[in-house]
Amino acid sequence: MNARTVYFTGGTEEGFFTAVFDGYNQPNAYLTSEKNLQLGLGENLIRVQPDMEKVARVERKIKGLDARAIGDVRLALRHRDEDREQVAFLYVRQLVKTGKSVRGMLSVEGVRRMMDLRGQVLNEVHRLKGFLRFSETNEGVLYAPCSPDHDDVDLLASHFVARLNAPFVIHDVWRRKALLYDGRECIVAAVGDAEIVESEREKYFSSLWKKYYQSVNIAERKNLTQQKNYMPVRYWQFLNELS
Amino acid sequence: MIDQTRLKILVDGAKYDVSCSSSGSARRNSADGVGNAAFGGICHSFTQDGRCISLLKILLSNDCAFDCKYCPNRRSADVPRAHAAPEEICELVMEFYRRNYIEGLFLSSAVYQNPDYTMELLLRTVRLLREEYRFNGYIHLKGIPHADEALTRAAARYADRMSYNLELPSEQSLKLLAPQKTKASVLTPMGVLQTGREEAAALWKARTGKTERKGRGKFLPAGQTTQMIVGASPETDGKILRLSESLYRKFSLKRVYFSSYVPVVKDPLLPTVSAGLLREHRLYQADWLMRFYGFDSAEIVGEGENLAVEYDPKCAWALKNMHLFPVEINRADVETLLRVPGIGAKGAYKIVSARRFAKLTFEDLQKMRIVLKRARHFITCDGKFYGADNEERVRTALAVAERLDGAKQLSFFDGDEGGLLRKSERQSISLSVLDGTKNFLLHSTPSIAKSALDGQF
Repeated sequence: MNARTVYFTGGTEEGFFTAVFDGYNQPNAYLTSEKNLQLGLGENLIRVQPDMEKVARVERKIKGLDARAIGDVRLALRHRDEDREQVAFLYVRQLVKTGKSVRGMLSVEGVRRMMDLRGQVLNEVHRLKGFLRFSETNEGVLYAPCSPDHDDVDLLASHFVARLNAPFVIHDVWRRKALLYDGRECIVAAVGDAEIVESEREKYFSSLWKKYYQSVNIAERKNLTQQKNYMPVRYWQFLNELS
Repeated sequence: MIDQTRLKILVDGAKYDVSCSSSGSARRNSADGVGNAAFGGICHSFTQDGRCISLLKILLSNDCAFDCKYCPNRRSADVPRAHAAPEEICELVMEFYRRNYIEGLFLSSAVYQNPDYTMELLLRTVRLLREEYRFNGYIHLKGIPHADEALTRAAARYADRMSYNLELPSEQSLKLLAPQKTKASVLTPMGVLQTGREEAAALWKARTGKTERKGRGKFLPAGQTTQMIVGASPETDGKILRLSESLYRKFSLKRVYFSSYVPVVKDPLLPTVSAGLLREHRLYQADWLMRFYGFDSAEIVGEGENLAVEYDPKCAWALKNMHLFPVEINRADVETLLRVPGIGAKGAYKIVSARRFAKLTFEDLQKMRIVLKRARHFITCDGKFYGADNEERVRTALAVAERLDGAKQLSFFDGDEGGLLRKSERQSISLSVLDGTKNFLLHSTPSIAKSALDGQF
């Protein structure tokens, strides 16, 4: 097998689409944003410089073939899988080769992997809509820490902006970034540790919630397996009813 | 503010209501309001019994004038009684909602003093929540049987979903166990609300020329549901499913919930053992077949019969209709695929979309993660058959598949006394399944285990 030509995208969407443009005709192209990548013998590393013209051309091409594909690619790039860029790249190639939408082509492995990544990101976004827990600070800000598998906290913006009439923070503690809403605008910012002083009301209602959680359980129907299937244990550390 | 003691009492009384869904409504927030409704519903937590918490499930009062035998809040029960003021409920909902604990409120009540008085209290609470607290999240409101029709209709204007619980699947059982309830006292208001929904939809159509969008209706956008207790009275599964089917047709119910009877109350008229989770599970499987897979209740089970214990209802149907199988995966229409045991709505969709591009083989299906341990006996892939060669072996294989699922995911087969097997009948053995590549630890009866080991599937 020939040695790969590795395109380092820098982890941005623009970097990715530029790399798709540059690497498209390179049969052994491998796209990645993995910083600690081990290069094999004779392998080439190219650090991609985002080029907006190339980005626009690639996006236009994809949109022309399948209006939904560009959204699928963007979702997949948020996945934590190390191969996410390569999976998305091969999907784009398959799309261009086929010349029309390939999302139903589930007997092809590349398409399946792409749809898996996309689905897993969307699934987590849906879960977070349920499993986030806000606590109210002294200043009346709602603060929710979380540690999602994928880079997706900003996808929660429209959901919570539409619902809450208070400023809020959704903090991805692992990626050290947060979605901040001040009552008018929503931004994503890099943040470090957060120090929170809870209001008195917060303590009261948090304890009522714990009481509710215990009371609503039907002990005669205990089924811990099912509980864990629906609510994986990795989310538990941020659920106040379980801590 | 409500305190922990009253909260516990009012939640204890409400928790046996099975319905937990917050789906079916796409209510929007208002400029000065809090909350909206997500059409697909959102689960916020799961309790140790594996049930989801989506709505704050609570009673306004557990002080009941009725004396239904099965109910922990009945008049004659010796339990602590409590009430909550409408304002207390509203405050709790608002504070829980903004912390993202819940999607909304599931409000119910014991019949306090009399039905009209209780319905008025419920109406006052939901109106307050919508108009004063500007809450636009989900509200599921329980209707009180025998309450005035005008009150019911007024309350429905504030709720997303309403439900009247039938509780028992026949008039005789109601008479025996819930003497103040009659079938009519539940079905009449259901009819009133369904008429209300149809009128609102017609009005919208007349005004705008368009059909109401899903979940955006002006009158109970998420429709109605009901609930039946299974195993407290002698009705068969066949009877229960026929009743459910007629409710779906007549009142366009969104869901019929089944609640397997748990003996929390002692009474000579009630059984002392729980009905078991398996029976409830089978009823839900059959319910899904009626709602999403195009089955009639008559196809699933005879009126005087119960659903099979060893297989799910679709397998049981397929075993009775072996002449319809196998079907060719590359040609069968989607309705036919939906009738293949082991192929669900998602699987059928995957197959139909993938085969437009290429002929599908058995390996393709495996890679597409179509579960084949049941389906393989009922399909051909490009003419090739991969199942067992006679009906007896198919039966065994299906029963084993069921046992594996039960042991792995649902634990129907261990723990509860109503389950399929008693402890002494169980054995743990290790065996190879079908392709010989995977080893499962199987909990099984000796006879099934033996036939499995003998390679009979």
